[in-house]
Amino acid sequence: MVRVEDIKKEAKKALEEEKVKYIIGYEKGANGVLPIPAFIKKPEDIDRIIWDPACVYNLSRFLLDEKRSKSKEKEPDERPVGLVVKGCDSRAINVLIQEKFINREDVYIIGISCENTGVLDEKKLAKKLKGKQPEKTEFGEKDKFIIKTKDGKIEIPAEEILAERCLECKANFPVVYDVLFGEKVKRPLENPFKSIEKMDSLPKEEKWAFWKEQIDKCIRCYACRSVCPMCYCDECVADTISFAVTADTTAEEKAQKIKWIEKSPVSSENFVYHLVRAIHLAGRCIDCGECERVCPVDIPLRFLNKKLEKEAKELFGYEVGFDPDQPSLVSCFKDEDPEDFIR
Amino acid sequence: MAKEYEPKIVAFLCKWCSSAGSDLAGVSRMVYPPNVIPITVMCSGSVSPLYIFSAFNKGADGVLVSGCHPGDCHYIQGNLYARRRIALVKKMLEFIGLEPERFQMSWVSAAEGTKYTQIIKDFVEELKPLGPQTKLRRNL
Repeated sequence: MVRVEDIKKEAKKALEEEKVKYIIGYEKGANGVLPIPAFIKKPEDIDRIIWDPACVYNLSRFLLDEKRSKSKEKEPDERPVGLVVKGCDSRAINVLIQEKFINREDVYIIGISCENTGVLDEKKLAKKLKGKQPEKTEFGEKDKFIIKTKDGKIEIPAEEILAERCLECKANFPVVYDVLFGEKVKRPLENPFKSIEKMDSLPKEEKWAFWKEQIDKCIRCYACRSVCPMCYCDECVADTISFAVTADTTAEEKAQKIKWIEKSPVSSENFVYHLVRAIHLAGRCIDCGECERVCPVDIPLRFLNKKLEKEAKELFGYEVGFDPDQPSLVSCFKDEDPEDFIR
Repeated sequence: MAKEYEPKIVAFLCKWCSSAGSDLAGVSRMVYPPNVIPITVMCSGSVSPLYIFSAFNKGADGVLVSGCHPGDCHYIQGNLYARRRIALVKKMLEFIGLEPERFQMSWVSAAEGTKYTQIIKDFVEELKPLGPQTKLRRNL
């Protein structure tokens, strides 16, 4: 059982010893049950930190912003940033280290094991409570979540309201950390790709009908891109910004600028955007499920990423986020890679 | 009389082998369907997945990526990187429900003009019953 007091104590110690610049954790949100990210710079503010089953965010995204702001400072503070991570988030850090985007010493990792459970899914919870407003969530005994509402406490087995990705999680404890809270226990998992296999077995016309309906909904808000810890290109192929149109720009220059993807949210362009997004995450996505959670029109984006994770595992025996020293999926090859599809 | 449907194929051919292979087919006056639009790239490994999606997006009925045989790559290993990447793209396109026949990869060396013509012939034959590709085509 992870006690939030222990986390606070450790975080406070790190701040007092000036080991870290600041701590990024979770704090109580203003509205509803979901917490918000907390940036804690002073040891006396440490009581803001919370840890409950609603801590869904992947805070490793903030390492990207941290790196960017650091590169603009004249005399940057070289101390690491303290970061509260779950199992999935720690794998994201591993991938960022693997790609040499950050160094291991840039981050002080406060790892928390999900211990047999995980984080909840807000929609599943709302369904379960049938309209009642949850006020607070807690980890209970025997893999149960305790949900507080106006009418009192309710105990719900974790399995029933766990986020989909937690149900398919391969390692629900941090794989890289400086301090660890909770035990490294693995939730039994029959098949991490159950949902994908169901999808794979459909005939192609049904698959197409499903994706056409889903991708058509996309409004191109790019929330999936904004929230992803792996989407760190300075310029995205989906909306190129580096081509400045000035008074001197000729029509020819404008015409010659390649526009890979139109910005209009129509089916064909959405498909290219989502396919490119998924391919760019091949062998990098650590299945934190944030893209799907933030999607305002509920596109099952996790499926696309999970499919590539499955293929990487089956075709190339590649697993994401466990070893920061391995080469990334598409920047290496093996002689025995399958080539039965090649003529 | 209605004209028979002719599929349009975009072929990304590597400069050192496949492009020379198609050239050989041409100079040897081998007959093959004129449905293919060849685009020479420096290496099959330089074909970004975006090129492939973009080709479908801009109206290709089929896309072919062709490179040197393993071990023959001008850049030593470019085609082996391509093999891995293209496998993922192929699985991805199948996953969203595009017909798997529409996207092919082949190894064609500079001496294999006949193989090249055969690949194009087979490809066109496979594409004809599928009809035009409308799934990913831009329709603004």
